[in-house]
Amino acid sequence: MLTVDHLRKRLPDGKLLLRDINFSVGEGEFVAILGLSGTGKTILLRCINRLTTPDGGEIVLTDNGSSLNITESNAGEIREVRRRIGMIFQGFNLVKRRSVIENVLIGKLGRISVVRSLMRRFEDGDVEMAHRALSRVGILDLADRRAGTLSGGEQQRVAIARSIVQDPCLLLADEPVANLDPTTAEVVMNHLRSISVDNGISALAVLHQPELARKYATRVLGVRDGVIVYDGDARLSDDDFELIYGGNNA
Amino acid sequence: MLKNRYVVPVLFLLFFIWSIICTGFSIRDLIEGVPNLSNFLGCMFPPAWDAFVPLISPAIETIQMAFLGTVFAVALSVPVALLAANNITPSKHVKVFARSIIAFTRTVPDIVFALIFVSAVGLGPVPGILALAIHSVGMLGKLYAEAIEEVDPGPVEAVEAVGAGKLQAVYYAVLPQVTPSFVASTLYRFDINVRSSIVLGLVGAGGIGFELIMAMRLFRYHEMLTILIIIFIVVMLSEWASNSIRAHIIGEEVLK
Ligand SMILES: Nc1ncnc2c1ncn2[C@@H]1O[C@H](COP(=O)(O)OP(=O)(O)OP(=O)(O)O)[C@@H](O)[C@H]1O
Ligand SMILES: [Mg+2]
Repeated sequence: MLTVDHLRKRLPDGKLLLRDINFSVGEGEFVAILGLSGTGKTILLRCINRLTTPDGGEIVLTDNGSSLNITESNAGEIREVRRRIGMIFQGFNLVKRRSVIENVLIGKLGRISVVRSLMRRFEDGDVEMAHRALSRVGILDLADRRAGTLSGGEQQRVAIARSIVQDPCLLLADEPVANLDPTTAEVVMNHLRSISVDNGISALAVLHQPELARKYATRVLGVRDGVIVYDGDARLSDDDFELIYGGNNA
Repeated sequence: MLKNRYVVPVLFLLFFIWSIICTGFSIRDLIEGVPNLSNFLGCMFPPAWDAFVPLISPAIETIQMAFLGTVFAVALSVPVALLAANNITPSKHVKVFARSIIAFTRTVPDIVFALIFVSAVGLGPVPGILALAIHSVGMLGKLYAEAIEEVDPGPVEAVEAVGAGKLQAVYYAVLPQVTPSFVASTLYRFDINVRSSIVLGLVGAGGIGFELIMAMRLFRYHEMLTILIIIFIVVMLSEWASNSIRAHIIGEEVLK
């Protein structure tokens, strides 16, 4: 479970981008984040796995009864936090010159020693898990292809397989279907939804289509002007829509 | 405006004339030297073919010097480049230190390193190898660091986002991205090192260059010509080899 409390984040130019963000994500929830371009949705996700350092507030991740305070973690603790949080990037962020299976195994790097990983000595169980993850997203036949040669939809599924292998308790996804055609987008959203349900992983996904949020999310957060302006049902009314996206600033 | 236009050409001309006067460069000396030169070349003909076979082993030694010098240079340059690259360096002080190493090794000519090492460890190929290894860090470290700074940060973040450390991120996300450019720079440096190792032989650092200076001192002009022919073959062969490796690797890139 994730709790975000009074989160603040300034841009390098001093502008207060996230003013006061408060929300929580319960176990097994699939929460969609909606909001105008440039409101700081990506930065919000990056604060949660500490790719960015927040300027104030508190983020706490509770996993199996143990609580990790993300905002107060030192370097070693940040790595522990990141092990438990999977991240699906908008641009896939695969290592293009490596094979698909090697990209999937990257999900295990947080849990094996530096020496082992420099020798590329993964355990048999890890390799088997990577194969299972690939077959789960339907691209086992691509295991030995160079990642750079895959289509966008295939690359996004490799990124999902990487997160499955990582076995996190929370999955962050930043516009996971932004570059995909409508049919492929549905396929990818279905995979995300099913690993959330089957593996009991909470998910927090930035989306740009309210229809996808209605179809796949259990809850919606609307971000605007640095605060959460909507937190509730995934079926948005016209007023809710106006609140999040409307022309005249609330 | 009009004045500014003439400043550079006038300065150029003045410096040109000054240099000609100070260095005593004269066309007349050059013309008068031609008979000496042709006399000298005449002395070299024909090449001493019987010296050819015994010279093969120093020629191979020259290539081996260049090869080992380049290999050791790569081993030194990769860590230095990682510490010097803006996006990987652990701290600003480390970066400045690494960049100083690169600047220093590039500024000091390899022949100076060779002279120092010859007086330290004596005549032979070893000081030549050390000189090439250290001087090459100046170029390879710089080119490698530039390549590292140009990598796509996305995959590096993705590796760090699963809880992996910096070293793992470098190994899994940075090195794959820079391999083609590292290979190209290294082959280019190998070509340079083959030629440099001949020159280093002249100051006693082994190989075919050492044979050349010995032949010259002992006035064995026919043997000198044989050596020049061998040098020509060595340079052509090594460039052909590095070109085919390059073509092979680039071909592979295009295919995949
Ligand atoms: N490193 C940075 N330096 C300065 N400004 C930044 C930086 N990163 C992001 N920003 C600014 O912060 C704002 C929010 O960025 P962010 O990427 O979080 O938006 P977003 O809500 O994800 O938008 P989109 O829907 O277009 O992806 C933008 O105005 C962006 O220009
Ligand atoms: Mg974004």
